[in-house]
Parts: sequence; structure tokens; C-alpha cells
Amino acid sequence: MSPAADNELMLKVREGDLGKLSFLFERYHRALFNFFLRSTGNRDLSEDLLQEVFLRVLKYRHTFRPDSQFSAWMYHVARNAQIDHFRKHKHEDEVSHDGEDDAFSEIASSGLTPEEQLAKRQETCLVRKALAQLSTERRAVLILSRYQGLKYEEIATILGCEVGTVKGRVFRAIRELADVLNGITGEKARIPSKSPALPHGRATEEAEDQVSSPRVSKGCPSTQ
Amino acid sequence: MNCERVKAEFPDYLVKSLSQEASTAIQAHLAICGACRQELAMLESAWARLGVLEDAQPSPQVRARFYTMLEEHQVELRSQPKRRVTFGDWVEGWWPVRPMWQFALGLLLLTLGVGLGRSSLKTPKQDGEIAQLRDEVGGLRELLTLSLLQQQSASERLRGVIWSSQVQQPEEPVLSALLQTLNSDPNVNVRLAALDALQKRANIRGVRQGLLQALEKQKSPLVQITLIDWLVESKERQAVGMLTRISDEPQFQPKVRERARWGLRQLS
Repeated sequence: MSPAADNELMLKVREGDLGKLSFLFERYHRALFNFFLRSTGNRDLSEDLLQEVFLRVLKYRHTFRPDSQFSAWMYHVARNAQIDHFRKHKHEDEVSHDGEDDAFSEIASSGLTPEEQLAKRQETCLVRKALAQLSTERRAVLILSRYQGLKYEEIATILGCEVGTVKGRVFRAIRELADVLNGITGEKARIPSKSPALPHGRATEEAEDQVSSPRVSKGCPSTQ
Repeated sequence: MNCERVKAEFPDYLVKSLSQEASTAIQAHLAICGACRQELAMLESAWARLGVLEDAQPSPQVRARFYTMLEEHQVELRSQPKRRVTFGDWVEGWWPVRPMWQFALGLLLLTLGVGLGRSSLKTPKQDGEIAQLRDEVGGLRELLTLSLLQQQSASERLRGVIWSSQVQQPEEPVLSALLQTLNSDPNVNVRLAALDALQKRANIRGVRQGLLQALEKQKSPLVQITLIDWLVESKERQAVGMLTRISDEPQFQPKVRERARWGLRQLS
């Protein structure tokens, strides 16, 4: 289904043909669920937020503009739903640190040996925890570009910022992630003392790039 | 490319959205810069390791919850009391949401308006009716002209001559009546008016010949001189013989003969 077809469907929904939303749900619900899952690490919360997004799509369908792209508009709604949730539930961690709540445990049984399964579970856990250490904004741009397959221009539309800002955040996010992962796995990471001059990069974000010592391997399965 | 500019391209490099030119420039820099090569390798490794988080499936309850919610909204939408539809609502209902369709509809309405306007002014059916009506009016004018030319009153006959000029394509009876008036009407003003009316129809064969012959039949010097002027103006070569006779005949008044000689000089 093309973006134009998505827009056609959403325009029908906007005009009162609510049934057309089922096509968009079938197309996007899994991607949206994984967006929330990678952002929060919490299955139940991700399913709740997924429901909330489609509820808001129905509720605010009149705000969908014909010249906007449905997927970008939907992720914008998703981001707001997530932000609103954590604003209401300030006591909750934005990313689940519960080692038992391994939301990505489904990968374990695809013909791998027990050792390979364990290694993969450990890697999954490490990456998830490394992602959790990123700031909300950096984690969001990384997930949207790496997993949701969105272009930087689309991400800029979703986040309401410049494309250069998105690229800067992606660069700093992936470098921070590399640092954390290398630290977690014991590799020596070489972190340059200075970031490249990315367009729209902010001094505060430059300072944030100085990642402290590697953290959290706690809670991940051990090979020992 | 220096190191800073190369690193600024790393985000596009990771998602493979670099242009061929930029990609080549980066590869050239990486070939000679160990630090950038090492940093990019580290970033690519982290980017690849993110792939371990494969897509997960939401529980089946997600779909059930969505469709329940959707159905509730549909029911709610259907059960909403329909408020009285105003003209504005009706127009808004027809008005498309997308700008492209709005433009197209606007253009269509404009075209329809222009088309309707033009067709209302002129339709084939109405064309036929108008032509028929025009024929009928022309016929009435002819009858009126003929009737007025028979009247005793000079002013009525004058009106008859004037009416004849409003007949676009007068038939032979009207032209004959006008020539008759020109030749034999007792009032000189009526004759002059008839001459004026016939001059406008001089392109009709019988009329031109009738005007030529009328010169000898006229008794009024005013009409004769007016006729001579018209014959000269219209370069009527057939009038030479007649003008020669008039210029020699003493029965015509001196002014008429003099005018005839002038005419001969003009035509010769």
C-alpha cells in the first residue's frame, strides 16, 4: 500500500467512513507496537499505547490534513501519546528494566542451539539496556530511523524539527550506543573528544555525548 | 573532505542514503584516515547490533480491542442525532477536502457557468424561432410599406418609404412600389425619400436599371440633380448617353443641363 493510498483511506475516515481505519490498523499496528516496545521495553504498556494511538486517530481525525503523510502524522500522534502517558505516570520508568520482562524473547526458538539461543538472548538484553540508557529524544530518532525505516525528513516532520537536527541526534545516539555496548561487552571503545560539526547540533547535546562508564549488564542472562 | 565533513555524512552513510558522489568522497577519505575508518566501523557495528531486536508480535487481544473500540465509535456516530441540515452543510458536504479536487470542482463550475450562460443566450432551437419571427416581422413591414405607399397623405407615403428601409431584404413588390413612387409620386419630398431608399438597394439588378431610367421621367430639378450626382458617384457608364441628351435638351432646366455636363466630364 502506498503513502497515497494510506492518505486516501485516512481521508475517508475523516469524512466519517470509520471502517476504513481497519485497513490502516492492519497495516501499521505491528510496526507501531514495536516502536513502543523498543521505546519502553514493556509489552503491556506498548499494547495500551497502540490502542491509545488508534483511539486518538479516530478522535482527532478532523485534524488530519490532506497534504500531510499518514505515517508521519500517525507517528506524531504516537509520540504525543507516549509523552502524555509518562507525564501522567511520573513514577514509572520510561524504559522497563525488568529482566524477566523480556519482550523480545520470541526470537529464542528459531533452530538455534541452546548456546546460540543463550548468546542471542544475552545480546538482545544488552542492546535493549543500551538503548534504555539513551535520552528519550535520541532513542526516538534511532528507533524511527533504524527500525521503522523512516527517512530523516519524515522523522523531522514527526518531531517537528530540522532534518539537520535529526541527523545530529542520530549521530550522537549511535555513537553513545556504540560506547555503551562496547563498554558492556568489554571492548575498548575509542570515543573522539569532539563531535563533528553536524548541522543544527546543540552544544548541550555535544556535552551529553561524553558518555560515562559503561552501565547495566545487570539482569541479562549470563553465559558463565 | 576533512574529518568533520566526513563525520557529518555518517548518519546518511548508515542508512545508505548518500549520493554516489558523496559516497565516493567518503571512501576516498576513509582510505587515508585511520581515525575516521575506526569510528565508522564502530558506528556500523553498533548499527548492525541493533538488528538483534527483531520485530515482536503483539498479543491477539490487541486486534480484538481495536475492533471493539472501532465498533463502539461507529455505533456512536450512527446514533448521533442528525441535526437539521442547513444549506451551508449541504454545500460543505459536496465540497471536496483535497485542494486538487477543490480546484477541479471550481474549474468545472466555472466552465458550466460560462457554458450555460452562452447557451442561454443562443441555442439552435431559439435561433430557428428568431429567424422565423424575423421573417414574419419583415413580411409585416413589407405589407405596411406597401399599404402606406398607397395612402393619400404625403406624410403617410413618406412613412411608407421610411418603413421600407427597415425591411432587410425587400421583395420585388416593395421595390416596384418604391420605383413607382420615385417616378410618379406628386410630392417631391416623397420622391427624394424613395430615391434615397432605392440608392441603398442599388446593388439589386432591377433597382439600378430603374434608377437609370427614372432620370428622364423626373420633372423635379431637385430629384434630377440628386440622381445625376448618384450616377456620377456610382460611376455608372451607362448614364453617359442619357446625360448627353439632357445636356442638349432645352426642356430641362439650365441648372440640370449644367449638372449633366459636369457629370459627363466626371464620367468621361
